[in-house]
Amino acid sequence: MNYDVVIIGAGIIGSGIARELSRYKIKIAVIDKASELPSGASRANSSMIHGGFDDKPGSVKARFCVPGNKLWHKLKDELDVHMNECGSYVCAFSDEEVKHLETLLEQGKANGCPGVEIISGGRLREKEPNASGEIIAALWSPEAGIINNFEAVHAFIESAQINGAELFLETLVTGLLFDDKGGIRGVTTNKGEFIAPVVINAGGVHSAEISSWAGDNSFRIIPTKGEYFLLDRTTQGFIHSFMFSCPSKAGKGITVAQTAEGNLLAGPTATEQEDPEDHATTPEGLAEVLKGARRLVPAFPVNLNITTFAGVRANIDTGDFTINALAKPRGFVNVAGIKSPGFTSAPAIAEYVADMVRHELGDRVKFAPNEKFIPERRNIPRFLYMDMVKRRELAQKNPAYAQIVCRCETVTEGQVIEAVRRGARTVSAVKMMTRAGTGRCQGGFCCPRVAEILSRELGIPLDEVTRHGGGSRLLAGRTKEFLLKKKREEAAK
Amino acid sequence: MSRDIDVLIIGAGPAGVAAGIGARREGAERVVVLERDWDLGGILQQCIHPGFGLRTFKEELTGPEYMHRFIQQAHDEGVEFRTNTMVFQIDKGTNTVWTMNKERGIEHMTPGAIVLTMGCRERPLGAIRIPGTRPAGIYTAGTAQRFVNMEGHMPGKRAVILGSGDIGLIMARRMIWEGAEIEGVYEVMSWPGGLRRNIAQCLDDYGIPFHLKTTVTKIHGRDRLEGVTVAQVDDHMTPIKGTERFVECDTLLLAIGLIPENELSRMAGVEIHPVTGGPVVNDLLQTSDPKIFAAGNVVIVYDLVDNVSDEGLIAGANAAKYAAGKIPADIRRIPVKGGENVRLFSPQYVTGQADTTIYMRVTHPVEQACRVFAEPDLYSQRLRYARPGEMNEVRIKAGQITPDIKEITIDIQPV
Repeated sequence: MNYDVVIIGAGIIGSGIARELSRYKIKIAVIDKASELPSGASRANSSMIHGGFDDKPGSVKARFCVPGNKLWHKLKDELDVHMNECGSYVCAFSDEEVKHLETLLEQGKANGCPGVEIISGGRLREKEPNASGEIIAALWSPEAGIINNFEAVHAFIESAQINGAELFLETLVTGLLFDDKGGIRGVTTNKGEFIAPVVINAGGVHSAEISSWAGDNSFRIIPTKGEYFLLDRTTQGFIHSFMFSCPSKAGKGITVAQTAEGNLLAGPTATEQEDPEDHATTPEGLAEVLKGARRLVPAFPVNLNITTFAGVRANIDTGDFTINALAKPRGFVNVAGIKSPGFTSAPAIAEYVADMVRHELGDRVKFAPNEKFIPERRNIPRFLYMDMVKRRELAQKNPAYAQIVCRCETVTEGQVIEAVRRGARTVSAVKMMTRAGTGRCQGGFCCPRVAEILSRELGIPLDEVTRHGGGSRLLAGRTKEFLLKKKREEAAK
Repeated sequence: MSRDIDVLIIGAGPAGVAAGIGARREGAERVVVLERDWDLGGILQQCIHPGFGLRTFKEELTGPEYMHRFIQQAHDEGVEFRTNTMVFQIDKGTNTVWTMNKERGIEHMTPGAIVLTMGCRERPLGAIRIPGTRPAGIYTAGTAQRFVNMEGHMPGKRAVILGSGDIGLIMARRMIWEGAEIEGVYEVMSWPGGLRRNIAQCLDDYGIPFHLKTTVTKIHGRDRLEGVTVAQVDDHMTPIKGTERFVECDTLLLAIGLIPENELSRMAGVEIHPVTGGPVVNDLLQTSDPKIFAAGNVVIVYDLVDNVSDEGLIAGANAAKYAAGKIPADIRRIPVKGGENVRLFSPQYVTGQADTTIYMRVTHPVEQACRVFAEPDLYSQRLRYARPGEMNEVRIKAGQITPDIKEITIDIQPV
């Protein structure tokens, strides 16, 4: 298959770049090994949209964080993504930490981060009555927020698809192809070759390995696990914003935030590990999160926990984002080590990479503007957030919107069917696209119903429906057939 | 709608169907029961095992058989049912109920009285925060029961059951009947969560190992569940180092408790009890909003469906009385207090308007002769034992509630 650009990885970076490149009349393939999006670090993270005071002025991170933040405030409407524009606090418990807040304040000013100021612990508690009484001061950043990360990735990839990009899931890149001039010719995958003169490596935790295939071993990725608690939406308003501890050498520490959907989120830890695909939570990690959360908000209502999860971020040994087009092989672009503030920076990185590719690799691909580019993308209608008039209208037009599938998050059958139409093939994909199963019963009620709809809409037997692709089948066979098979097996023995 | 609804009942499980009967018998003209499923009966539809109705019908019925009898009675009494109809909102103050249905779209109604009979739901894995991966193959016992009994599919071939709630015990036996293996049932407490009779009939009769003071401490497997680590726990429920054991299985069923389902009650502004998780009610089963009544597992999780039906009848009858203006606003509210060994109970207030049964559970088992009682000197009954998995009852006659009684205390103590 012939393309102009192949993007490896459909996380927030790969899908963001795909959308920016779809402003040009070029053929784009985005490939990802997962069965559903997002996977990897874009799936399990804090979804924080940082204010931009954390990064050393002059760093690559500082260059993209504040512009990225600004873009999200615009993109959330353009792409119909839920964002809690709540601001953030960095909390200081000692005079020493207050000094650190001052450093952050200066950094914020240098980075062009608007509205940052230091407030007293008392003023913090006026806004956040559940904040610890031991916090003596806080750095307030009004432009910070938290986004629905599932929606954000889908918004980018769907927008790219609307504008012509193609997405290939369950497609694992196994190597690179080179032309006779030592330039890039494409990639090999488990599904065959994808021929393209430009290959962009947005492979997240796997980006160093992919880069090494191009001969660039200049950085190393250290998979770093972050564990989280996610609490029921009845905790909405327990806190209203994003609360940080004072950063230390170990990282930004445990944060507590109200998500874009009104859940309470606490985490992450930062544990380095060998395996980039190990997403297991640990007793030690969860204990650390709980301790950190209680330090910031002592009454942290952990009894309302609905799930724990872990994400693995692509920590880079150089400490900063690596974004460059290699001189050799020409056509190969690294966008690697995009950890915090990666989600924030993503739209700015995407714009930059699209520009860079156009300027530096214009000899390999012709970049004519896509005059039909449509910037807007609409989310699957969210019944939960509609007023009664809208709900009635929708239910009248399509009765599937008058049938609740997920009672915790008030998700209708119409939404699930629409998710399947937009590419959902697994129960988790439906969950990330509609929120069916993200509530307090964690799919106890909706999982059989979602599985049934998937089976019906995809025309596959119920037994073939998976939780998240691969071997994650939900069921093990028909009841009586199962028993008979077992009896036959026993008889054969 | 040609006529206004006198009593609107939300949920057509055992409580709701009985409430319909109770309301009609009390003389309510128009009684409507809303049900989100396509058929009536609630969770009993999937409870195809026998053991229901011993008290009410003096015989052992399956869940669907038990419900069939009540549904028949309800039809005979002229109760209206609307299936495939989900209530998704109750407005605070006005008590307007919003429903959706594929044919009728979105509708709203403001009845004379409401009975909440939404039942309960199962506690999910997240509630107990077990570390590890999140593969396919982890189900609450009730979800697995739906797959097996309603859809005809097996959730897996070799299962571990965590928790010893009744549905877990029933599913252990059910899975064996279907040719699956049950490696064992693990219960973190030092006593079973479910009824003794289910331990005997579902585990002991099939040689399924039952491990008390043992829990699952880790989940393994990326795509499909590959196994769990189990470990014994100490008196503080902390896993004991050195007792960990890997158990290979492709399925983990959770029977770790039931929670009354009160999203709608909260929306309606009804006061929720912090311990039961259900609405605070008086013995007429009237909530903090006088127009709203509640019955069954939405109030407190019962052991026996017979009790749920009894309560449904009471709530329906009183809702009908309320709709007819027959329940005064100034009825007495004598608070009930639980003694030392009482974990939870319902109702929380006694009015003296009718004979009352207070249902309660002990915190700790009392494995010797004991006495369940209500003071001041209202009830006393000897028991051979008292266990958290088995509810106890206190019965008080309306006539016993004299004007001098300001508070009632219930408790269970060894004799």
